[in-house]
Amino acid sequence: MWKARVFDAVGIAYLFLIALVVVFQPDDMAMLNLGRNTLLAILGVAIGFGFSFGFNGIGLKTLGEAIFEPPHKKALAEPIPWYKTFWGIQLATLFVVTCVAGVQVTQVSLYELTDPDGFRGAKKILMSLFNPEMSILPRGVLAIVETIFIAFMATVIAVPIAFVLSFLCAKNIMGGTPFGFGVYMFLRTVLNVTRSIEPLIWAIIFTVWVGIGPFAGMLGLMLHSIASLAKQYSEFIECVEDGPIEGITATGAGPLQVVWFAVVPQIVLPYISFTIYRWDINVRMATIIGLVGGGGIGTMLIQYQGQAMWPEVGTLALLIVIAVWAMDTASAYIREAIK
Amino acid sequence: MAEPLLQIKNLEKVYPNGMRALKGVSFDVKPGEFLVVIGLSGSGKSTMLRCLNHLHDPTSGSIVFKNEDVTHLEGKKARDVRRRMAMIFQHFNLINRHTVLSNVLMGNLSRTNSLSSIMGMFSSEAKEKALGYLDLVGIREKAYVRADQLSGGQQQRVAIARALAQEPEILLADEPVASLDPATCHTVMDYLEKVNKELGITIICNLHFLSLVRRYATRVIALKEGNMVYDGDPKNIDEAWFEKIYGEGAREVHVN
Repeated sequence: MWKARVFDAVGIAYLFLIALVVVFQPDDMAMLNLGRNTLLAILGVAIGFGFSFGFNGIGLKTLGEAIFEPPHKKALAEPIPWYKTFWGIQLATLFVVTCVAGVQVTQVSLYELTDPDGFRGAKKILMSLFNPEMSILPRGVLAIVETIFIAFMATVIAVPIAFVLSFLCAKNIMGGTPFGFGVYMFLRTVLNVTRSIEPLIWAIIFTVWVGIGPFAGMLGLMLHSIASLAKQYSEFIECVEDGPIEGITATGAGPLQVVWFAVVPQIVLPYISFTIYRWDINVRMATIIGLVGGGGIGTMLIQYQGQAMWPEVGTLALLIVIAVWAMDTASAYIREAIK
Repeated sequence: MAEPLLQIKNLEKVYPNGMRALKGVSFDVKPGEFLVVIGLSGSGKSTMLRCLNHLHDPTSGSIVFKNEDVTHLEGKKARDVRRRMAMIFQHFNLINRHTVLSNVLMGNLSRTNSLSSIMGMFSSEAKEKALGYLDLVGIREKAYVRADQLSGGQQQRVAIARALAQEPEILLADEPVASLDPATCHTVMDYLEKVNKELGITIICNLHFLSLVRRYATRVIALKEGNMVYDGDPKNIDEAWFEKIYGEGAREVHVN
């Protein structure tokens, strides 16, 4: 039950810290004092653990327990309406407090939203966007073609690499031996880190490496695609049926043959489907990646936006909408058809 | 007295979770037998077959195959034993997306190098033989149909053809008719009998239905909770033996 205890302790520490902020109204200096605030957070967690064990001691079912209790206990739980349970009140308190804090932190302000001056500015930009400047259309079309090719190349190069990696990242293939499990853990970690860094950041790194342009954008997207596809592919491998694997193993086939004849046929369709989807995602991402110098229509867009040439921006935005919509629709139809 | 094909002595299997599936089983298998293994679900029948062809590793005891100790094998040697002891399964375990012929050709995998098998290059001789085996089980006309288009009974016959393509000496059958309807049961069992009688392949078969046992088996062994409780002629299994094997109050179900 340590998961439940940690969950409750963190939740209570969170409420404790918010209560401190509300009571003492700290100024900016106090908020930036990381050392002391960390100590307060640790104190909060300690208090949280105290409460958590305390509630448990007097037989109250906390939110953490409600979430993490094993399924056989969940099945036995009496049907009580949530607002009459301790964990229900705990959940509601956390939610309401977070909503109130969220309004403060994001500086929600109806006054700013209804300010006539600001509204007029936004309206002007919107009107310009809807009056696109068609003279840049030919260059815009070339740029969107470049964007689609960036996405295509990133996908095409990523697929075979991800295909091989996906087997090395699948627990049912690699889990058998300690060495295999080591490789599995190592690759999983590397891929998770790679994936958690946005393609935008990778593209910035590559623009420094290979210079501004489509090549940098393609490399950034490719790296992210490898990590994402390998993860998705390996999840398919992990849920293949065992029967065919047993059947092929029993013929005396070698390990590579077992993978090729028993595993691959089961994963081909989801692989194709996810690959098309990834290309589709890459087209959308490629437009964004252009903003940091990754080439394609994004690079063009950021140039006009910087000069506040809104009708031109409108033209490019229209092109992006059409391209993304077309890719999205085509990929949806294809994926539906080959299912 | 023919020399035994398989000698199994004190075979034990303990699973990593501590479950003792086999608690010292010993018996011999003579060439050409149609040996049927009976017992309740969980009595260790499937585990025993899988120990024989090393899909599971036996914990202790010994398995001697034609005077050669094959108890603990790995890699190439284990694969060679698997080739010589083909296996068919309750759920057929075919590759659904491949054609029937391609599934039968997979019986050649252990004798084809990895690269050419992956490129789909099987010799024309292997293809001829595969079609011949499909003929033997009566579904040659389905050779180019996808395996998942076939009925359960037909799929099991493809599995038999795949097993024959391995050119085995023994055929292990793990509940081959348990997921088939009663009418189809006999067709599949008849083909197993044909394989046994015409090709002289020894068969070790797990079965549930005693009526099938009496009809097809030349010898029966019974497992109960990982121990062998019966070894002999199928005709001698009377009411008393039945209750001993399946427990008090069990009633026999007939398949016609």
